[in-house]
Amino acid sequence: MALAEICKISNAPYMRRTAWDLSDVEEDLKAHTSNLANPYTLAAPPFENPMHNLNLIQANADKTGIKIDFDHGTTTLGFKYKGGVILAVDSRATGGQYIGSQTMKKIVEINQFLLGTLAGGAADCVYWDRVLSKECRLHELRNKERISVAAASKIMANIAHEYKGMGLSMGMMLAGYDKRGPGLYYVDSEGSRTPGNLFSVGSGSLFAYGVLDSGYHWDLEDDVAQELGRRAIYHATFRDAYSGGIIRVYHMTPTGWIKISETDCMELHYKYEEQKAQAAAAAQ
Amino acid sequence: METLLGIKGPDFVMLAADTTHARSIVVMKDDQNKIHKVSNNLLISTIGESGDTEQFTEFISKNIALYKMRNGYDLSPHAAAHFTRKNLAEYLRSRTPYQVFMFVAGYDPNDGPELTFIDYLASAKSVNYAGHGYGAIFASSIYDRYWHPKITQDEAYDVLKKCVVEIQKRLVINLPNFNVSVVDKDGVKNLDPITAKSLAAEPAA
Amino acid sequence: MSNLGFQQFPEYQVPGVQQADFSPYESNGGSIVAIAGDDFVVIAADTRLSSGYNIHSRDQSKLFKLSDQTVLGSTGCWADTLSLTGLLKVRMQGYEHTHLRTMATDAVAQMLSITMYNRRFFPYYVSNILAGIDKDGKGVVYSYDPIGHCERAFYRAGGTAGTLLQPVLDNQIGHKNINLSSSELPKLTIERAVAIASDTFISAAERDIYTGDSVLINIITKDGIEEKKLQLRLD
Repeated sequence: MALAEICKISNAPYMRRTAWDLSDVEEDLKAHTSNLANPYTLAAPPFENPMHNLNLIQANADKTGIKIDFDHGTTTLGFKYKGGVILAVDSRATGGQYIGSQTMKKIVEINQFLLGTLAGGAADCVYWDRVLSKECRLHELRNKERISVAAASKIMANIAHEYKGMGLSMGMMLAGYDKRGPGLYYVDSEGSRTPGNLFSVGSGSLFAYGVLDSGYHWDLEDDVAQELGRRAIYHATFRDAYSGGIIRVYHMTPTGWIKISETDCMELHYKYEEQKAQAAAAAQ
Repeated sequence: METLLGIKGPDFVMLAADTTHARSIVVMKDDQNKIHKVSNNLLISTIGESGDTEQFTEFISKNIALYKMRNGYDLSPHAAAHFTRKNLAEYLRSRTPYQVFMFVAGYDPNDGPELTFIDYLASAKSVNYAGHGYGAIFASSIYDRYWHPKITQDEAYDVLKKCVVEIQKRLVINLPNFNVSVVDKDGVKNLDPITAKSLAAEPAA
Repeated sequence: MSNLGFQQFPEYQVPGVQQADFSPYESNGGSIVAIAGDDFVVIAADTRLSSGYNIHSRDQSKLFKLSDQTVLGSTGCWADTLSLTGLLKVRMQGYEHTHLRTMATDAVAQMLSITMYNRRFFPYYVSNILAGIDKDGKGVVYSYDPIGHCERAFYRAGGTAGTLLQPVLDNQIGHKNINLSSSELPKLTIERAVAIASDTFISAAERDIYTGDSVLINIITKDGIEEKKLQLRLD
């Protein structure tokens, strides 16, 4: 061992004796489930660029038969108006071409005054939303008051920025009600964070924007606003193959969020068809 | 896609920035302010990789605020520009570089106005006028033609207007609104935004 | 993928040399079906373990008993399945010793999700379905994507024949797109759940090369776990 000592490598991990005793096992366990104790410590990949490497594996799926397809969420929207904030989402989760679920919950109830929507990688959004709800609760306990939407969204943006370039995929809106009134922030995995009155995120967002922009103004009545959100998502499910399932509408009011409706988009389709037919008949 | 403009006069610096926040092909916002007031006599305008812009600008501006708290006086515009450049350069050579383009604009009671151009590779240059982004290509010749050493604030605002008109006429990307801010001996002031609407309302020059 | 970044130095590149991607994954095949009823849950998995066109084993259980109320079905890359279930086993044991009670099914579900997300940047290549009895005594099924996105459901198919089996379950268990009133629909009993799970596997063995040999069926009720085995095609 003398040479090892002179070279100062005797402490290197590969020079250490492995007896596989209990402490080794414990250490091993801690290393492999590190994020159970601290959610920010994810395992480091054994290669340099995780995003690039994962893309290669996914691109070769046809040749190798190894299909690591993550669940992806799709169309979400949110807007502020005089009565608070409306959030509307679809419920389809796709892994590649396969519809993994038609009942996914894309609105995460962080607490009574904070909702998060979920587009992009489902696991990413759900995991970090869970971390966020923990942080929000801790803020409440430490400061004896609820966290503001601005601060909550900043925590999320800081997390996203920390992992920028590692391949996280998130596009979320955070909606809430605090001292400053209704709040709506857009946060994504690029690390950008911006407040606004109206956002739509996901593959179906372009279709949702079309309906939303043409029907939106600040002084909408509650039921009209809720219907606008629902309709915008319905039209996105109709046009966008990655969107579908159930359309959920939530309303953030000064006294917390309310779940307005959960409707199958097929049901809505026939309802709107009938309305159209009636309108046409009336016009004749 | 985004555009920043900046003009230095004998006793002021004027900045303009478009207000578009785009993601892939979608315009997510058209009222995003990209000119940040850092202190009473310092402005920083930033564009670049989304996320990085907000994060880096905030990091710099909070550190400059911290400097004032610790020392009781502000960092001079020249020193602020140097501080910004040095941080950007150090991050550039790290695992997590910031991709941002910025102007550091300030007014120093002793040294007068200062406008510093900083790009994502952290090359910095004190300039009389400059731009960042595609729009700046169209603006550069307008600056060359109309800028002069004794330019007044009104004249500078007019030059910026000319730049915006040209950008809206020749650049394929739609940049309808520009925020304008000025810093001089009286501090920071936001001027009327130059928008497609405000330009249309004016009598044709 | 290169750890050394040789691509950045084209002058050192040797013609004809192929860069291998770092991809320590393999698909070892296998399918899982889980169906939850009011007070029971049935989870079934085939016992074939293959690699490409070779069949390694005809008798490998893919069901892992985590407690008397919870069973995990795991397929995909067998190496990853072993790593993951090993971790869970130790975690379950640790929990039992520190808290002096067994981890509830919904807690196991959340733990599994977080444990899988730990490898966000180098995922476990597994298709997991967790079945158990929840704290209200109801049967539940949780399904996962490779990085731990978890969804609670009543029935779910996964693994290589998952895409083949899920539509059958949608029809027979979920009664999707069937115009019958709820009184006309058959009640979901243990017998019916087992029969449907068995039938789906018999069908899957006809069409999926990675599914076959036999099916292990676990029936979980509040009284414990009953195991059954059904022979499938061996070809």
